[in-house]
Amino acid sequence: MTLGMTPTPFVSTKEHDANLAKLLRGYTPAQGFDALYDACGQLRPHWHEFLHGFVAQGEESIRQRVNEVQRLLHENGLTFKGRDAHSTARHWSLDPLPLLVTNGEWAEIEQGIQQWARLLNAVLCDVYGEQKVLREGWLPTGALFQHGWWWPACHGTLPDHGAALSTLGMDLICDTYGQWRVVTPRTQSPLGAGYALENRIVLARSFPRLYRDAPLRRLAGALAEGHQTLRALGAGHREHPNVVLLTAGPHSDGYLEHAYLASYLNIPLVEGQDLVVREQRVWIRTLGGLTPVDVILRRMSDAWCDPLELRADSILGVAGLMQAVRSGQVHIANPIGSSIIEHPILKPFWPRLCQTLLGESLLMKCAESWWCGEPEGLERTLQELPQLVLYPCTEGAGAIHAAALSDLDLESLKASVLERPDKYVAERPMASATAPVFDMEHQQLVPERLSLRLFASLDSSSVEHGAGEVSYNVMPGGLVWVGEPGQSAFQSSVVKDLWVLADQPQPHVSPLRQASAPLVVTRDGVDLPSRVADSLFWFGRYGERLDNRARLVREAFVRLLEQDQASVVDPSLNSLLRILGHGSITTSDPAARFGQSRGCLKDEIEATGPAGLMTLAAAVKRNAQAVRDHLGDDAWRLISNLGNELAESHSAMSGRRACERTITELAAVFGLCNETMPHHYGWRLMDIGRFLERCQNSLTLLSNALIDSPADESAGAGEMMLAATDNFTAYRRRYRSELHPNALLDLLLFDEGNPRSIGYMFKRLKRQLDRLPQPNSSSYRSEEQRLLILASSRLQLAACRCSRSCRIARFSREQTGAGDSAGRAVGTVGSLIGCHQQ
Amino acid sequence: MIYRLRHTTRYEYASMVTLCHSEARMLPRQLPWQHCDESEITIFPITVSRCMHTDVFGNRVLYFSLEEPHQSLGITIDTRIRTSARPAPVDNGRPWRSSLALSVGCQERLDTAMVSVDSPLVVSSDSLRDYALPSFPEHRTALEGVLDLNQRIFNEFSYDPGYTTVATPIDDVLLNRRGVCQDFAHLMIGCLRSLGFPTRYISGYLETLPPPGQPRLIGADASHAWLAVYLPESGWLELDPTNGSLSGEKHIINAWGRDYADVAPLKGVMSGGGSQHLTVSVDVEPLGETSSPP
Repeated sequence: MTLGMTPTPFVSTKEHDANLAKLLRGYTPAQGFDALYDACGQLRPHWHEFLHGFVAQGEESIRQRVNEVQRLLHENGLTFKGRDAHSTARHWSLDPLPLLVTNGEWAEIEQGIQQWARLLNAVLCDVYGEQKVLREGWLPTGALFQHGWWWPACHGTLPDHGAALSTLGMDLICDTYGQWRVVTPRTQSPLGAGYALENRIVLARSFPRLYRDAPLRRLAGALAEGHQTLRALGAGHREHPNVVLLTAGPHSDGYLEHAYLASYLNIPLVEGQDLVVREQRVWIRTLGGLTPVDVILRRMSDAWCDPLELRADSILGVAGLMQAVRSGQVHIANPIGSSIIEHPILKPFWPRLCQTLLGESLLMKCAESWWCGEPEGLERTLQELPQLVLYPCTEGAGAIHAAALSDLDLESLKASVLERPDKYVAERPMASATAPVFDMEHQQLVPERLSLRLFASLDSSSVEHGAGEVSYNVMPGGLVWVGEPGQSAFQSSVVKDLWVLADQPQPHVSPLRQASAPLVVTRDGVDLPSRVADSLFWFGRYGERLDNRARLVREAFVRLLEQDQASVVDPSLNSLLRILGHGSITTSDPAARFGQSRGCLKDEIEATGPAGLMTLAAAVKRNAQAVRDHLGDDAWRLISNLGNELAESHSAMSGRRACERTITELAAVFGLCNETMPHHYGWRLMDIGRFLERCQNSLTLLSNALIDSPADESAGAGEMMLAATDNFTAYRRRYRSELHPNALLDLLLFDEGNPRSIGYMFKRLKRQLDRLPQPNSSSYRSEEQRLLILASSRLQLAACRCSRSCRIARFSREQTGAGDSAGRAVGTVGSLIGCHQQ
Repeated sequence: MIYRLRHTTRYEYASMVTLCHSEARMLPRQLPWQHCDESEITIFPITVSRCMHTDVFGNRVLYFSLEEPHQSLGITIDTRIRTSARPAPVDNGRPWRSSLALSVGCQERLDTAMVSVDSPLVVSSDSLRDYALPSFPEHRTALEGVLDLNQRIFNEFSYDPGYTTVATPIDDVLLNRRGVCQDFAHLMIGCLRSLGFPTRYISGYLETLPPPGQPRLIGADASHAWLAVYLPESGWLELDPTNGSLSGEKHIINAWGRDYADVAPLKGVMSGGGSQHLTVSVDVEPLGETSSPP
C-alpha cells in the first residue's frame, strides 16, 4: 500500500472491470429509486468512480481491511449501550462502503435541515415563551400539554436572544421517488454524532487510500464550529466560559458516546452529582472546591434535570438548575423543555407551522400524518387503520405499527382510538429507496433500505450578534444504518459512514482543532471533579482486589492440578480455600475432595457474589467507564477486554490460564496508567486505592501464614504467600530454599524496597497523601496522614524488636502487634479517604 | 371581608442540612375579587438567594436557598387581604355536551388547554366518568351538572383526615368514599376532565368559625383546596366539594394549577438532614367587613 501524497489515478483495467462486475453480480434493486443505479439501469457516475477505487484494492485486501474495521470498532468499545447495564457488546458491524451523497443532493438536504432547525427553534420559543401559535389555535393545545411532554416549569426560561435550540439531530430517509424526507427531529439528546465520527476515523484508518484524498467533506470542522457556538453561548458571562457535558451517567444510553464527545471537544464530562447550584449559579465540585460553570451541553432527559422543579424523584439531576437558568447564570444546550419538539402531536402541523412562523413553505417534507381528534382525521384513520402507524400522545408510549398487529390487537387499538381520538396521531408510513451495502460473507453488494441521522448546530453568529437572524450549520456527514424508517439505530446490525462528495479533494483535518482564540495553558489541578476522583480511587481498589484474588485462585488451581486425584492432599490448598472464604473440605475420599475443590474454584470465577472474579472485573470496568475521559486509549482497550477469558474457562486448566491472563492484563492496565496518565490528583487517588487494597490483602495473607494456620499447614502457607505475591524468586535469591518466618517477615513486612511489602506500601501511601490538596490549605497534618505515621511507627518498632530476638513464637506476636495496628491504620485511612473527598 | 393571613411552615431536621433549595407558592394571587397588600416574608435562617417569578399559571413563586449548615427552616408569610363576592354564575341554557363544543377565545384556549388533560396526580378514567355521569343527563346544562356533582360528592363522601395522604390515588378515594379537601378536589377534577371540562385545582384558605361560645384559636386554621371549572359562555366557576358549596368571600385563593403538584405551598430539595419534622400553622384572622386602615 502506498502512502504517497499524490493520488494514484484509478485505472480502469480489465481486471478491475471483472472485479467490479463480480462485486455487482447479485445487486438487484427493488422497485423505485435506487442509489446505485439510475432508472435506465446505469451505474450512477459518482458510484462508478468510487467502486473502481474500491475494487482496485483487491479482494483479499478488502477482506483483511473489513476485518480490521470490525476489530477497531470493537476495541474502541464505543458501544451503543442498551437498557441492560450488563450488556456491553455492540451488535453492530460497520459497512466499509459509505453512502455517497453528491454535492447537489447535499445542497438540498442542507437547506432543508437548516429550515427545519429554524422552524423547530421557532416552535420551541413559542411554546415556552409567547405562546402565540397556541393562543391562535394552530395546534391542538390540549394534546400538546400532555403530562410528561410539557413542563410548566420551563415556561419563560428560554434565552432572550431567540436562539434556543443549539443542537439538533434529524432522522431522514430517501424515499422510493428519490426525495429526501424527514422521519423525526431529535432535540433532546441526539445520539450519534460521536458514532459518526468514530465510524469515519475507523474507516479512514482501515482504508487510508480510499479516504485520504477522497473528494469528501470532512467532519472535524463542523464539530469545531459546534464547540465555538457553545463558547459563544457563555460569552456573556466570562471571557473564557467554562463548558461541560452533562451526562445521565454510565448506565444511560450512549454514555460512552458522551465520554467520546467530551474528550473530542475537550470539555469536562460531568454527572448531576458533580454539579451544585449555589447563589443561583452552577458550580462543579472539584477537589479544590467549587468552579463556576457557564454552559452545559446536556445529554440528560428534560424530566430528570432538576428535582426541585421537574421530576421530584430524580437523583440524576441538579437541584436548583431551573432557577440558575432563570437567573441567566447558566446556558443549557439544548434548553430544558426541548423534548416538546419530539411530541407526536406536532407531526401533522409542521407544514402549517412553517408557513405561520417562518412565512415559508416547508422544503423537506415529512410523512403524511393527521390528528385523530378532528372528525375527518378519525374517519380516515378508521378506514386505513391496518396500513397506518399510530402515535399515542401519552407519556412513554411508542409508535404502534398497525400492520404488525394481530386481528385482536387491531380491534383493541381501534377501540382505544374511538375512545380517545384526541390522544392519537396517525401517519402513513414511508418507504425508503434501496442503496448498496457490502455483504462481507459473499464479497458483493446487496440493496438495503437505509435510515440516516444528520446533525445541525446553531451558528455562533446567531448568538454573538444578539437577536436577529438565527442560522444553523449542518455537519457534512452522519450516522447511517440499515433499517426501515422509524426503526432505531439501536435495533440495527449494520451501520455506515456518510460521504458528502466535494468537487475536489479535501484536506485532512486533525481532531485537535486549530486555535481560533488565544489559549490559556492549563495543567490538571484541583479542578478535578470529586466524583472522578472517587471513581479513580475505586478503580484502583477493585483492580488490586481482582489482582489479589486472581492470584490466589491461580495458586489454588496450580495446586489442584499438581496433585493427583488419588494422592495425599496438599494442605496449602485447604488454607487457600479458607482464605478465599470456603469452608474446609473434610471428606477423606480423594476423588470427592478433588471434585469439591474444583467446584469451589469454579465458583470463584463464576460466582455472582461480591467477591467473584467476574463481579470484580465488572466493577473495574464500571469505575473505568465512569472516568473514560481520563484513561488513555490503550488502557481502555485492555479494560474493555478484561476478564473476557474468565467467562470462557470451563476447566481447571483454562481457569488457571484465565487467571494468569487477568493478572497480566491488570498489570498492563495499571502500567499504562502510570506511564500515560498525567500524575494529577486523580492518578494519586487511584494509586492510593491500589496500595490500600494491597496492604489489606497482604496483611490477611501474612496473618493467615503466620498466625491462623495450623502447625502442619504453616510452611505451605508461607510458600503460598510468596507465590501469591510473586516474591518466590526474590526470596529464593536471598535465602536459598530455607523457609524461615523471620526472613518472610522481613521481605513482606519490613523491606521498604520491595513493592510487595507493607513497609513499601506505607511509604508510597505517605508520598501520595502528602501531595493531595489539604482542605483550607491547613498546614496541620490531615487525619489520614497522622494515622499513617502511627501505623508506620508501629511497623518500624516491630521491625526493631524482631531483629533483636530469635524466637519464632515471639515474632508471631510482634507481627500480630504490628499487623494489627497496620490493619487498623489501613482501615481508618480507607474511610478517611472517603471523607476527604466529601 | 378583610383578613390578616399568616401561614407558617417550619421544618426541624434530625441532622445538619448543608444546602437547601426551596420554592414557595404561599403568596396569595391578585384577583378582581381578592386584593392583597404587600406580604411580609420572614425566612430563617438567613437566605442567600431570594427571587420571585410568576409561573405559567400566573402564581407568584418565591425561590430561596439556604447555603449555610442549618438544622431547622421556617417561613412565615403575613398578608392583609380584602375579598369580595365572585361574579354570579351564568347558566347558558344549552345542554352540557353542546356547551363543550363551543369555541373559546384566545386566552381561554390557552388557560383551558393546560388544565384539560391528565396531570401528575389526576389521571382521568372510566370509573371517574361513570361516577360523574349520573349528574349529567343529556338535557342538563353544564352549570346544573357541575352543581349536582358538587353536591353528590359532599353527600356521599365522608371527611376523614386520618385516611389519606398526599400520595393516595383518586381511585382509592372513589372506592372508599372518604378523604380530605385535597382528595375531593382531585376527585371532582378527574370527574370533570373525564367528561371534557377543563378544570383547575385551587389551593387556598378558608376562614373557619369557632364553635358557638368559644374564642377563636390562633393558628388552628388549615390550608384548603377546591377547584374551578371552565363553563363556556360563563367562565370559571369555583366549587368547593368538601363543603358542597360555591366559593365565596371566606375563600382566599393562594395559587392554582393542574393539581396539587403544581401548587404545593412549599417544596424543597436539601442535602443532608435525615428525618424531618414538619409543623404548619395557618391563621385566618378576620379584621372586619370593610376596608379600614390597620
